[in-house]
Amino acid sequence: MSAVRTTCPFCLNGCESIVTFDYQFRMEYPLDAPVNKGRLCPRGNSASIVVDHPKRLAYPLLDGKEVGWDQAMQYCREAMAGARPEETAVVYSRGLTEAEVRLAWGFAHAVGTRNLVCGYVEPDNCFQYRLADVKDATIEQVMAARTTLLVGDLFSTSPVAAGPVLEARYADRKNRLIVIDSIRTRQAGQAHAFLQVRPGTEAFTLLGMAGSLDKGLSIDVEQCAAVSGVSGKQLADAAQMLLNGPSFVGSAMHLGRVYYPVQHSLMSQLVAAKAGATFMGFGEARVPLGRTGFQEFRQQAESGSLKTLFWFGGMYPCSYPELMPELSRIALRVTTSIFRPETGVPGLVLPVPSELEKESVGHSCWGEVSRHPVAAVCNGARPLVRVLGELAIVTELPVEPSPEVSVREAVDMTLAALSGHRQAPVASGLCLLGEKRASGIGGFYDAEDEIRLSAPDAARLGVGNGEYVRVESATGAAEFHARVTAAVPEGALSIGVNAHRNRALFPLEKDTTSGKTVIAPAQVQVAKSATTSKPAVEMIARAG
Amino acid sequence: MAKRLVVRLDLCIGCRACEAACRSRFKGEARIRYAEVSETVSVPMPCRHCEDALCAAACPFKVIVRDEQRGVVRQASFHCVGCRSCMLACPFGVIDTELLRDVSQKCSLCSDRPEGPRCATTCPTGALQFVEEEKLAEKKAGVGFAVRSVHGRRL
Repeated sequence: MSAVRTTCPFCLNGCESIVTFDYQFRMEYPLDAPVNKGRLCPRGNSASIVVDHPKRLAYPLLDGKEVGWDQAMQYCREAMAGARPEETAVVYSRGLTEAEVRLAWGFAHAVGTRNLVCGYVEPDNCFQYRLADVKDATIEQVMAARTTLLVGDLFSTSPVAAGPVLEARYADRKNRLIVIDSIRTRQAGQAHAFLQVRPGTEAFTLLGMAGSLDKGLSIDVEQCAAVSGVSGKQLADAAQMLLNGPSFVGSAMHLGRVYYPVQHSLMSQLVAAKAGATFMGFGEARVPLGRTGFQEFRQQAESGSLKTLFWFGGMYPCSYPELMPELSRIALRVTTSIFRPETGVPGLVLPVPSELEKESVGHSCWGEVSRHPVAAVCNGARPLVRVLGELAIVTELPVEPSPEVSVREAVDMTLAALSGHRQAPVASGLCLLGEKRASGIGGFYDAEDEIRLSAPDAARLGVGNGEYVRVESATGAAEFHARVTAAVPEGALSIGVNAHRNRALFPLEKDTTSGKTVIAPAQVQVAKSATTSKPAVEMIARAG
Repeated sequence: MAKRLVVRLDLCIGCRACEAACRSRFKGEARIRYAEVSETVSVPMPCRHCEDALCAAACPFKVIVRDEQRGVVRQASFHCVGCRSCMLACPFGVIDTELLRDVSQKCSLCSDRPEGPRCATTCPTGALQFVEEEKLAEKKAGVGFAVRSVHGRRL
C-alpha cells in the first residue's frame, strides 16, 4: 500500500490530502494541513477518479484514428518544419503545471511565433487583472473579519473556503455577511444582507458601492443601482456595512454567470480598496495570459491566416469542438488531452498525464504549494516535457507578469460597459445562467440534467417539476428535466456547467470593453418537450 | 467512549462532501443521505444509531446489532441475505441496498478509522461533527442552530 500526501489540483484553494492505494484509491484527511485542516470538497474527495477513469486517452489519435507514438511524433516534426512563424499559433491552457507553461513559452520562442495564446477563457482567470494597492487576504484575516462581502457563489466553487467565512460569520453576533449574486444560493441563505442583482451585472453593483464609498470617483450610484436592479439605498447601506472593519471581500465567477469578467474582478478589488478590506479572488486556476489575446487568435483562425496550431493542455478544442468552427480552417493541428474526445477532433490528439500524475510546484490563493504524483503516468500517455524533449525543445522561458490596472482605467472600463449594457433578458427568450458546483460525487461529474426555473416562467411554459424542457441556444440544444424554484429570478434559467453538454449551450462572445473572450449568460429559446421519461444516461466511473 | 455524529444545520452549505467522502470509501455507494429543506437550507442525513434501533429489531438473522459500549448499530454484511427488512424498518430512510451485491449497506461510523467517520472529517464547514456523548449537553449540540437568536438565523 502506498500513501502520498499531495495538494489537490482542482482549484486554487490548495487543500492537502493523502491518497492511498491498495486495490483502489482512497482519500485520507491530514488534520494538520494549514489551509483545509483535513476538510475536502466533493471534487477533492473524488479527485483520484481521473487517474483510472475509463475514458482516459491511452494512444495518440490522428484524425480520429489510433496511431503509434512514432507516427505521431513524425506528424509533429512535419508540422513544425512546414510552419511559417506568422502562420503558427501556440495555445496553452488549464491542466499544465507552471513549469510546463514556461516550456510552452519556450516552444513558441523556438518556433519563432508571436501568436502565444492563453486558451483558458473561463471567467475566473480574469482575477489575474490586479488593481494597484489591493491587499491579498490571508486565511487568518478571513476568519477575523467582522464584515465579509461575497460576490458570486463562492460556496459552490470552493466549499472548503466557505469554512473560514462561516467561522467569521458566527464568531460574533455583530459580524455581518453580505452577498451579491443573481441567484438566491445557499450562500445567500447565510447572509445578513443579500443583493439579488440582475444576471451578470455584479460589476455595476460593485461600481455603485465604490462610488458611494468614495465620492471623489464621481459615479452615478443611482444609475448603477438601476441597471443592477437594486435600490441606491441598498448599495449605500451595504457599502457602509463594509466600513465596520476589519473586512474581507471574496469574489468568485462562474462560466455563464457574468457578462464582464475583467470588470467583475477589478470592481471587487476596488470596493475592497475603498473600504480598506482585504481581497481574494477564488478560481480554479491562474494561467498566465499570453502575448496575443484569445479573441485575436480566433479572428486570425477565422480569416484563414493560421495554418498550424499547437494546443497544450485541456479545454478547447478537445472538450467542445462545436464551439469553435473557425478552428476547422487550420490545416495542421496538434492538441493534447487527458480523456478521449467526445466528438471527433481533426488533427493529432496526444494523450498526456493528468495533474495527479505530475510533480510540480505552483501557487494557490494562500501561497506556494507543491504537488506529488499519486500514481504512475497512465499507460500510453507521455508528459509534455518528454514530447517537447523529443522535438529538441527543452528551454523554459519566464512568463510575463499579469497586468496591473489603475483605478481610473478600471472605472472607465466599467463605465464603458455600463453605457453599452444590454438589458437581459430580451423579450423573445429567456436568459440561461451557469452554476458551477464543486461536484464529482457519482462519476467524474454528475449528469447535470436538471434545469431550474422560476414559478411564473414554469407556468407560462406549462411545465411542472420533473417534466422535460428543450433548451436551444445559438450553439446547441439539450433537454433537461425542470425544477421549479424560488431561487432563480423570473426570466432566467440555471443549469450546472460541469457537464460539457451544458457548457456547449453558452456561445463564446467578445466583450468589446475589455477585448476578452467571454462565456456570458446565453439567450435561449425554451419549450416544453415531448419527452416524458428519463433518457438512459451513460454509466461512467463510480467513485473508488 | 461513545461518540455521536451531530449536525449543525446553520453551517451546512449543501456541498455534499460528506456523500462524496462516503462514496469514495464504500465502492461508490454512499451510506449518508442528503436532503433539501428549501432552496437555501439543506441537511445531511446520516444514520442516527438509535438506542432502540428498528433496523436491528427488524433483522430476522440478527445481522444488525447494537454495540452498547460504543453506541454504534453495526451490521455484519457477510451474513446479510438482502431481505431489505431493515430498509423498510428505518424511519429515516438511510439504509439502502448495495447495487452490486444486493445486500443492505449500513453506516458503521467508519469503525475502520480511529479518527472517526470520514463524513465528519471532510465536512468543509464543520456542520457534521463527531463529539463525545458527555459533551453533547455542554456543546448544545444535536440537530440545531448555531445561533440561538432568531435574527441570526438563515433567510
